Amino acid sequence: MEFVLDKKSFARFVENLLSDESLDVEGVKEKDGKFVFGHLDSASDLRLDHDVTLIPPKKYFLPQYETILRYDLSKPFSAKAEKEQKGKVLLGIHPYDVAAIEQTDRVYLDDYADEGYRRRRDITIIVASDILDVSDRSFAAAMGTHRIYSGYDLLLTDLGGRVVVVVGSKKGKLLLEKHAANLAKAASPADLGAADALRDSVEEKYARVLKVKKEKWVELLEHSYGHPLWGELAGKCMQCGSCTMVCPTCYCYDILDETALDATKGKRVRTWDGCLLQDFTKVGSGEVFREGNTERFRHRFYRKGLYIPKRYHFTACVGCGRCATACLPDIASPLEVFNGLHERRSESAGGMAYALPETEKKKKRFDHMPACATIEKVEKLTGMEKLFEISMDDGDAFEYDPGQFVEVSLFGTGEAPISISSPPSGKSSFELVVRQVGNLTNKMHALKPGDKVGIRGPFGRGFDVSKLEGKDLLFVAGGIGIVPMRSLLAYVLDDRNRDRFGRVILFYGSKTPKDVLFMDEIRELEKKRDVTVKLTVDRCDEGQCWIGCTGVVTSLFPQVEITDAENTAAIVIGPPIMYKFVLKCLETLGIADERIYVSLERRMKCGGGKCGHCQINGVYVCREGPVFTYDEVKTLPEAFE
Amino acid sequence: MNGKVSTDRTVSVHHLTRVEGHGNIHLDAKNGEIKRLEWEVPEAPRFFEAMLKGQHYSDVAHISSRICGICSIGHTLTSLKATESAFGIPVSEQTTALRRLAINGENMQSHVLHIGYLAAPDFFGVGSVFPLIGSKHNDTVIKIIKLHRLANEMSDLVCGRTVHPINMVPGGFTEYPSRKKLEDLLLRLPDAQDTLKEIAAAIKEISGAILDFSRETEYVALSTKGDYALYDGELTSSDTGVHDGDYLDFVEEYFVPQSTAKYSRHARESLMVGALARFNINGNSLNAAGMKMANFMDLKLPCHNPFMNTVAQMAEVAHNIEDCIVQVRTLLEKGVERETLPRIIPKAGRGVGVVEVPRGILIHDYTYDDVGRCKKANLIIPTNQNHGNIQKDMESLVPTILDRPEKEIELLLEMLVRAYDPCISCSTHYLDVRFV
Amino acid sequence: MSEKSKPRVAIFDFASCEGCELQIANIEEEIIDLVNLVEVVSFREVMKEHSDDYDIAIIEGSIVRPMDVESLKVIRKNAKILIALGACACIGGVNRLRNRFTKEELFNEVYGKTGFGDNPLFDVLDETKPVDGIVPVDYYIPGCPIDRNEFKRVILALCEGKKPELPGYPVCVECKKNENVCVFEKGQFCLGPVTRAGCDAICPSHGNSCEGCRGLIYEPSNECVKEVLSRYGLDYEEMTRRRNMFNCCGREDQ
Repeated sequence: MEFVLDKKSFARFVENLLSDESLDVEGVKEKDGKFVFGHLDSASDLRLDHDVTLIPPKKYFLPQYETILRYDLSKPFSAKAEKEQKGKVLLGIHPYDVAAIEQTDRVYLDDYADEGYRRRRDITIIVASDILDVSDRSFAAAMGTHRIYSGYDLLLTDLGGRVVVVVGSKKGKLLLEKHAANLAKAASPADLGAADALRDSVEEKYARVLKVKKEKWVELLEHSYGHPLWGELAGKCMQCGSCTMVCPTCYCYDILDETALDATKGKRVRTWDGCLLQDFTKVGSGEVFREGNTERFRHRFYRKGLYIPKRYHFTACVGCGRCATACLPDIASPLEVFNGLHERRSESAGGMAYALPETEKKKKRFDHMPACATIEKVEKLTGMEKLFEISMDDGDAFEYDPGQFVEVSLFGTGEAPISISSPPSGKSSFELVVRQVGNLTNKMHALKPGDKVGIRGPFGRGFDVSKLEGKDLLFVAGGIGIVPMRSLLAYVLDDRNRDRFGRVILFYGSKTPKDVLFMDEIRELEKKRDVTVKLTVDRCDEGQCWIGCTGVVTSLFPQVEITDAENTAAIVIGPPIMYKFVLKCLETLGIADERIYVSLERRMKCGGGKCGHCQINGVYVCREGPVFTYDEVKTLPEAFE
Repeated sequence: MNGKVSTDRTVSVHHLTRVEGHGNIHLDAKNGEIKRLEWEVPEAPRFFEAMLKGQHYSDVAHISSRICGICSIGHTLTSLKATESAFGIPVSEQTTALRRLAINGENMQSHVLHIGYLAAPDFFGVGSVFPLIGSKHNDTVIKIIKLHRLANEMSDLVCGRTVHPINMVPGGFTEYPSRKKLEDLLLRLPDAQDTLKEIAAAIKEISGAILDFSRETEYVALSTKGDYALYDGELTSSDTGVHDGDYLDFVEEYFVPQSTAKYSRHARESLMVGALARFNINGNSLNAAGMKMANFMDLKLPCHNPFMNTVAQMAEVAHNIEDCIVQVRTLLEKGVERETLPRIIPKAGRGVGVVEVPRGILIHDYTYDDVGRCKKANLIIPTNQNHGNIQKDMESLVPTILDRPEKEIELLLEMLVRAYDPCISCSTHYLDVRFV
Repeated sequence: MSEKSKPRVAIFDFASCEGCELQIANIEEEIIDLVNLVEVVSFREVMKEHSDDYDIAIIEGSIVRPMDVESLKVIRKNAKILIALGACACIGGVNRLRNRFTKEELFNEVYGKTGFGDNPLFDVLDETKPVDGIVPVDYYIPGCPIDRNEFKRVILALCEGKKPELPGYPVCVECKKNENVCVFEKGQFCLGPVTRAGCDAICPSHGNSCEGCRGLIYEPSNECVKEVLSRYGLDYEEMTRRRNMFNCCGREDQ
C-alpha cells in the first residue's frame, strides 16, 4: 500500500500526530549543526534531510539509562518493575538504523526475550525515511542497508514537493488512517517511480568501498586473530568507548543499584556498557578477563564480523559510520579495518575457529525482576566461605541441572552469579556456597536465616548427565571449584542414580588444610567402596593437622590408576591456572577432549546472553556455559587465559 | 581581687566556625585594659596570581572561579568583564540580562546560606543547623532549604552549575535556559517570596533585638541611577561620593603580619563593603519587596550597626526574588535566542571588571599580552576590604562589653565576624605583599 | 539505625575554595537524610562543635604548608577511613598550577624581596600536594566541584559497609550517552577521552569542553596523541594548557 502527501499535508500529518495526547512523537531534529532523535515540538522541527544522527534510535528500546525496577529497603523484599505506557512514534529513521533495529530485535526478542525491550518495542511505531543526504563516513551501500524492504511501519520518501509513504505494517496503516485520513492519496506509478529513482540515486552518493564483502568477514576473521594490525591500531586507541556508545548494533549493558540517601528507596538501573572499556570484564573479586587493550580492541571487531554472525546469521554492522566519526584517532571504522586485514592477509600470524556449542533452544521469558526467596540456613564452612540454604517463596519446585547458576540479588548492592552446589532435589530449595570477595558477597555473609534475597535463574548450561551415564567419572577440583562439582557429585552418588554411573574418583586440591570445603562430606565419601578420594593441599603450615598429600592437584594423578580411559569422563573445575596442567595430565591418560568437562567463571551479569560481559570469544558463559566440554572451548584463545 | 569585679578577659577563638575559610579571634584584657585584640587570618595561601600567570584568556575565568566556591558565579562574571574590557568584546543585551539573573541567583544562594545555615544557629542558641532538624524549628529549616534549593536551581539553569559555573564564557553563553524551564521558574518565584517572609518572621520572633551597637564607617558599593546596583555600576563611597578613575587610586591595600590576607582602606582607617554598605548607598533603590522586608526587619537608612548586615542580606534576597521575576518575564517576552559568540581577537592591554558579589565589591584586573595570555592579575576581594573594618569594629565593641562573661564576649565577637559573612579563602587568593 | 551505630564523620578543609563543602550543603533536603545516616562531629564551615573522635574524615583542599602537613597527619591518625573530597584534595587541582614555579620564584614574584618567609603562616612546601601526597587516602570523591550524587553514593556505601567504586571509564561514555556533538568536532580540545567519568559529562553537555577536573584515568600513547591533534588541527601547546588546569605536572609546564 503506497500513498502520497504533498508537503503541506505531510506537515499537517505530523501536526496531527503531535496533537495526539496518547502519543510521544520523537523524530530527527537539528542539534548544534548535527542531528539527534528527540522530542518534536512542531512539524518544522523534523529534518528528513539529515545525514546521520549522533546516536542511533536504539535509545528508544534500550535507553541510555533505564530504571528496570524500584526497591524499598524498609521492607524485607519489595520491588516494582517500571512500565512505560505511552505509545511512541519515531519519525525519520534511516534504513541502516531500521536494519540495526531488526538485529537487536533478534537478540532481544528471540529465545530469552527481554521483557523491557519487548514492551517498548510493542508500543513504538517506526516511521522510517529514505536517505537524502549521505554522511561522509557511512558505507551503508556496501553493507546493503541503504534501502530497506522490511522492519518499518511506515516508510517515507521525501521527494521535495511531496512525500511518498509506504505502509509496512498494520500498525503503520492504522496510524495513517487515524492521522492522515483526508491528507494521504493513493500514490501514482509516477510517484513510486520517483521514489525508486531516489533510492537508486542514493547508492551513488556512497564513496567508500568495501574491499571484502560482509559475507566474507567470517572467513577473513577466522584467519586474522593473530594479525599485527590489531596491535598497531590498538596502540592508537584511547579506550574511550565512544565507538560502542554510538553504534546501532552494540547492545551490551551494565546494571547498577542506586539507593537514595535515606538508605531506603532505590532503583536498579540498566545502562549502556562497552566491551572496549577497561572494567568491562571485571568480576567481584577484582579479576579482569580480557585485560589487554589489543584484545579488547580486537574483540569489538570480532563481535561485528564473526561472533554475532555465527550466532545470529547476520553481520553486526550496518555501515552507518558513526563509530568512524566518533573515534578521535580514526581507527574504529569496520570498513577500513576489514579492508586493511584483507589487503594484508598474508601477514596474519594465526587464526581462530570454533563451533558454537549446542544449547537447548527453548523460548524463555527473561527479565531482571528477581523472585523472592528466603534464607533457610547459614553454615560457616571456612573463614571465607559460607553455605546458604535458600528456598523460593513461591514454593514451586526449583528445577535445575547440576552445574547451573543463579543470579543472587540484594537490592542496593546488586547481583552476582553463584553456582548451585546442591543436587537437583525437586524441592523449592537449593544450596549456594558463597566466598566473601566483593561488596555483594560481603553483604551476603551478613545475612541470617529468615532474611530475603532475590533469585533469578537458573541460568546457563549445566552437566548433561545423560552423556555421563555408564562412564567412570574422574572429578578434579581446585579450591572453590568443588562447589559446582558437589551438585553433580551428589547427584551421581545418590542411591537412586548411582547404578547409572561407573567408578567415581575425586581429586581435590586446596591451598591449606583450613581451606578444604565440605570435609565432613568428603570423609563420608572416603568410606564408600565405589569411590576413590584423594586430597592435597598446596602447603600445610606448622601446627596444622593434615593427613592428605601436599602438592598441586596434578600430583594426585599417579596415585590412582585409571583403568578404562576410553570409558572415563573427567570433570575439571578450578582456578584458571589449574586447567592448563590438569588438561595435560588428562591428555596423557588418553581421555578424549569431548569427555572432559570444565566449568568456567566470567562476569555473568544478565544471564540471558545479552549484556556481553561473560563472553569468551564467541561463546557466552551464561548461555553455552558455564559447563563446556574441553572440545568445545579448546580453540577459544580466551578460554584458559 | 580586692573585692572588685575582675575585668581580666581572655578570648581565643581558633578557626572560627560557620564562616567560609579560616579566621582566629584573640582578646587579652587585664584589669579592663585591652592588651591584645586581633582578628587573625591564617588561611593557607593559594597563589592565584601565580596560577593565572601565562594562562590563556579562555581559561582565566574558569581558573579564577576556583578562588571561591561560594561566590564562583561572581568571580566568573567579574573575570569575564575584565577580559571583555581588555579585548573590547561586545556583550549582547540578552547576555547582560542572563548575567543579571545569574548574580541574583548567587546573591540569593549565598545570603540564604549565611542567614539560614551560618548566622541563624546563633539566634536559635545552637551550634549548627543540624540540631534544629527535627526540633520545633524544623519547619523553618525546611523553608530555608527550600529557598536555598530554588536559588541553586536558578543558578544551575542559567549557569549550568551553581558551584563553578560552566555556561558563561567571554562574549556570552554556551548554553541557554529553555522557555519551559524559565516558565517553571517564574511560577516558583512568588512562592519563594512567601517562604522568605515566613523565615524572616521566625528569625525575628526568636532572635529578639540584635545587639545595639553602632560604629559609623565608610561604606562603599557600586551605584547606578534608579537601580540597586549589582552587576554594574560606579564605585561609590558614603564619604567621598562617586569615584571616577582607576580603582587602584581608590582602595589602598596593605598587609598586617597576623594575616595571610590583605587589608584595605580609603578615606578613613577602614571601610565596609557588602549588603549593609549597599543598603546604605542604594537603599532607596530597593524594589518594593526589598523595602518591605527592610521595614519588617526594622532596617532603616542609614544603618551603622554591622550586626545588621545579616538583616540587609534578607532585604536583598527579597529584592533579588522580585528582580528575578521582572528579569525572567522580560526574557520570556523577548524569547531567549541562541546567539553566536563574538569572534575574539586578543590584544595586549589591561581590562578591569567590577561586580557587586554577595559580600561586596569584587574587582578583577588583568593585563594580557598580544596573544591573549594573562601577564598580570590583580584581584580585590570583598572580604579583604572588610578585614580592617572587622578589626576596628572589635576595637570599638570590646570596651563596651568587657564586663560581660568571657563566653558571652566570645559569642558576640563571633557573631560580629559572622555578620560580615567573611569569605576567607577568597581573601587569601593573592599575596602581592606591600608593607605600608 | 540506632544512634550508636551511626558513623562519626568529620569534615576538614585545607587550601581550597570550599566549593565542595558547599556542594554538601547543596544536597538540600537530603541533608536531613545525611544527618540521620551519619553523625557529623566536625564541620567548621557550618558548625561550632568539634570533636577529634570520628570514624570517617573527609578532607577538602590541597596541602600547601608544613603546618598543614602536621594537621593532616593527626587527622589520618584519628580516622578509620579517610576520604579526599574534590579535585584539590584528590589530585591537587588548580592549586598545582603554582608548581610551575619554584618556591624561590614564587617568593620573588609574589612576596617581593621582603624576606617575609619567616612567618609560619607563609611557609609553604616546595610543591602543593594532593592529600595522598602526604598520607594514604582510602577513597576519593573527585571533581571540581564534586558531584552531589557521587558524594551521596560514596557516603551511603561506606555507611552500609560497602566499598564505594568510581566509574572506571572516561567522560566520553557519558558524553555520547548525552548526545553531544564532540568537542573536537567543534574544533576545540577536550580532556573527556582521558578523564574519569562520573560527572555526567556536565561541561561538554553545557557547550564547554572537559577540563579534566576528575583526574586522568589513562595516558594515551604519543602516537595516539599526535594522530588526534593533527586530525583536528590542534596543537600540543593547547593540549598541555588544557591538561594543566587541573593536572599540572610541574616545572616543565611553565
